[in-house]
Amino acid sequence: MMKDKKLENVQPNLSENEVLETEILETEAVEAAEAEAWLPAEDVVMAAPQPKYSSVRYAFGAVLAFFGISSRTHNASQKRGKLVGDIVTYIILLFGAFIMVYPFWWMLAGSFAYTNTTFPGNAPIKEMVWWPSLSTLNSGAAGVGFFENYKELFLNGFSSEGSGGTYFAAGFSYWRALGNNLFYSIVPVVVGVITSASAAFSFAKINWIGRNKVFFFLLAAIMVPGPSIMTTQYAMYSDIGFLNNWMVMVIPGLFGSIMTAFFIRQFLFGLPTSIIEAAKIDGAGYFRIFCSFILPLAMPAIMAQGLLSFMGVWNNYMGSYIMISKGSEWINLPHAMYFMNLVYEENNLAPVIAASVVCVLPVIILFACFQKLIIGSLMLTGSKE
Amino acid sequence: MEENMTTAAADDSVVFSDLEGVAAAEQTAEAVIPPKKQKRRINRQKLQDNLWGWAFCIPLIVGTVWFIYAAFIMALLISFTDYSIGASGTDGSLADFIANLGDHIYQRPVTDADGFPTGEFVTQPFYWYNQIFTKVVTDGGLGVSMNEMGRYLFNTVFYMIGIPIGMVLSVFLAVCMSRDIKGGNVFRVLYYIPCVASSISIVYTFKLMFDTNGVINGILGTDGLQWISGGESWNSLTGQESSSQFMRDPFWCQGFISKCVIVIMSVWKGLGGTIILYVAGLSGVNAATKEAAQIDGASSWKIFWKVTMPDLYPVIFYNVVTSVIGGMQIYAEPVLMFGESNYTSGYVSLIWHYGLETSGSQSTAYPSAGAAYGMFLAVIIFVLTLFQFWIDSRKKD
Repeated sequence: MMKDKKLENVQPNLSENEVLETEILETEAVEAAEAEAWLPAEDVVMAAPQPKYSSVRYAFGAVLAFFGISSRTHNASQKRGKLVGDIVTYIILLFGAFIMVYPFWWMLAGSFAYTNTTFPGNAPIKEMVWWPSLSTLNSGAAGVGFFENYKELFLNGFSSEGSGGTYFAAGFSYWRALGNNLFYSIVPVVVGVITSASAAFSFAKINWIGRNKVFFFLLAAIMVPGPSIMTTQYAMYSDIGFLNNWMVMVIPGLFGSIMTAFFIRQFLFGLPTSIIEAAKIDGAGYFRIFCSFILPLAMPAIMAQGLLSFMGVWNNYMGSYIMISKGSEWINLPHAMYFMNLVYEENNLAPVIAASVVCVLPVIILFACFQKLIIGSLMLTGSKE
Repeated sequence: MEENMTTAAADDSVVFSDLEGVAAAEQTAEAVIPPKKQKRRINRQKLQDNLWGWAFCIPLIVGTVWFIYAAFIMALLISFTDYSIGASGTDGSLADFIANLGDHIYQRPVTDADGFPTGEFVTQPFYWYNQIFTKVVTDGGLGVSMNEMGRYLFNTVFYMIGIPIGMVLSVFLAVCMSRDIKGGNVFRVLYYIPCVASSISIVYTFKLMFDTNGVINGILGTDGLQWISGGESWNSLTGQESSSQFMRDPFWCQGFISKCVIVIMSVWKGLGGTIILYVAGLSGVNAATKEAAQIDGASSWKIFWKVTMPDLYPVIFYNVVTSVIGGMQIYAEPVLMFGESNYTSGYVSLIWHYGLETSGSQSTAYPSAGAAYGMFLAVIIFVLTLFQFWIDSRKKD
């Protein structure tokens, strides 16, 4: 149907300039035609062996054609269509990108608000849109520098001697929380990725009896939801003395994770087995093959999985919150931020936002450095975290 | 055909003769080297394969079995008991407890008509499971009673509204990004940033942005809307205190707007990851089919639904399955933003509250109760996943 009508109204595909010219002519014609627009619609239909469109429809088609959309009355140029589509796409994507990035700008700007006052209190940070009305620059208070909130965070934020009250262990400070977080997210991730990679190597490249059965037995573990066994794990860790110290955050991670192993295994399937055969013939043992062939060759996948799990562990609030109690010196950075918020929420919020910034910043910098690797790996494996 | 047959037969004969040759060579080899030794060498290779195969994956096996499977079985076992933790610590060693499981099955004290304990006990292995379905929460202010599990599950399911919203948005944005434009990669990176940011930082930021006097209210013109109130007795549509019984009574009204904040936040945070998945999926869509459809005169709208979407379907299915599994486990975001509350907290809050929380009003927590609630959650997630796979298999027929 549609096609037939189009054929009857064939207009040659015009170049851009021609489209503009005809556009002007058409609008004039339309204006002239509008004077006769009172004619009943049936007449138009009756009079037309080939369909004739009402002037309004014709003008609408012309406008559509101007924006690169072909309709029954006008054929638009493809170039125009692409241009308009690109512009619309850019507008949509830029708007979305603004929404994605704005909260981070807000966070950064908020960390320079000055809220350590009785009268406006937290109001400057709460009412902020682009920049706080009362920032550390224009506070006017004596001895307040631009980085006042960061100073407060680093010196008093996480300490029981400062304003931390009973939430923090004696001698705890921001640097201790940062050190804990680095320890928790570097040691288990590095060791865990290597153990996962070794398991992946075994599952992908070594022929042993029952390897697929063992693999699917392990893979089935992802069906057990973490919260379901959370309380039992707590009791278990309490039994073996892991609770309330570094062990609970580090030791389970050392054994690797089945999802990481799964993705590295997928990557290893893409590597030719002939390399391993050749190494075997030259007399290399499996350990040697793993260290000098598999690790370097699978480095992109291993790095990407390592970085992703680093980010996951760096932000791991739940683990510390459940397994490490209040007043322990082994809490990690997000957990310490939670306590800090409890203290500062009522009367001085800006240092909490400053803490948020320094918690988010390392991960974003890391992501910015390795974005090609990480996004490439995400696109390859289809994992989200 | 015949020619092919003959060549195949010839090939076969060649192979056969090759095999014969090999066998002959082996025979001559056996003549030189004792056969026993050769046999052992083959076995040694296989033995090494098996040994090293196990050795390389033994850490992962130990870790998975110990921290997940053993924990899961123990959780199942203690969910019938009264294993508890108090201020003084846990109720003995978990291993000892499970070894003498029979002695620890939950004993409910019998009460007489006036509610005083009679000193007798009734063995009730399914006490915690019973509690999941029968425990009722009552709102003092509203005078409304409701099943507790239902209420928390309702919140959890409410937060899953974000899944279809996020899906539509991310398919749309992924289609935009996979157009032939400059700087598509930059957008991909920008959209992924919220995914890597720590959720606690984001929660504190959103909490302030959605403040009554905050920037969101300023932009939307919804002056004084109390997004972050989470509490009872307020009108779901305006966020103000309400005198209307209709707006106060129904359970779905309570905390409605606060829950919307979490939905918005989770869509915002999850968008980048799904966009990358869909961009990857879109790059795998067959370009030739698309072009053919274009030449045949299909509109781009039709091409999207008839060509692109079917190819994208596996990615969408994977994404929905993982999102539902993840969505059922929501806990930290609502609790960090509004505190523990039956208007806003997800189901996992119950596991935390009954299983581990020894501060506040509760002096003894029961990890056994937490385990029972957890088993129920595992069953729900398992059934939901099975259901999705069932729908998937029906679609293929």
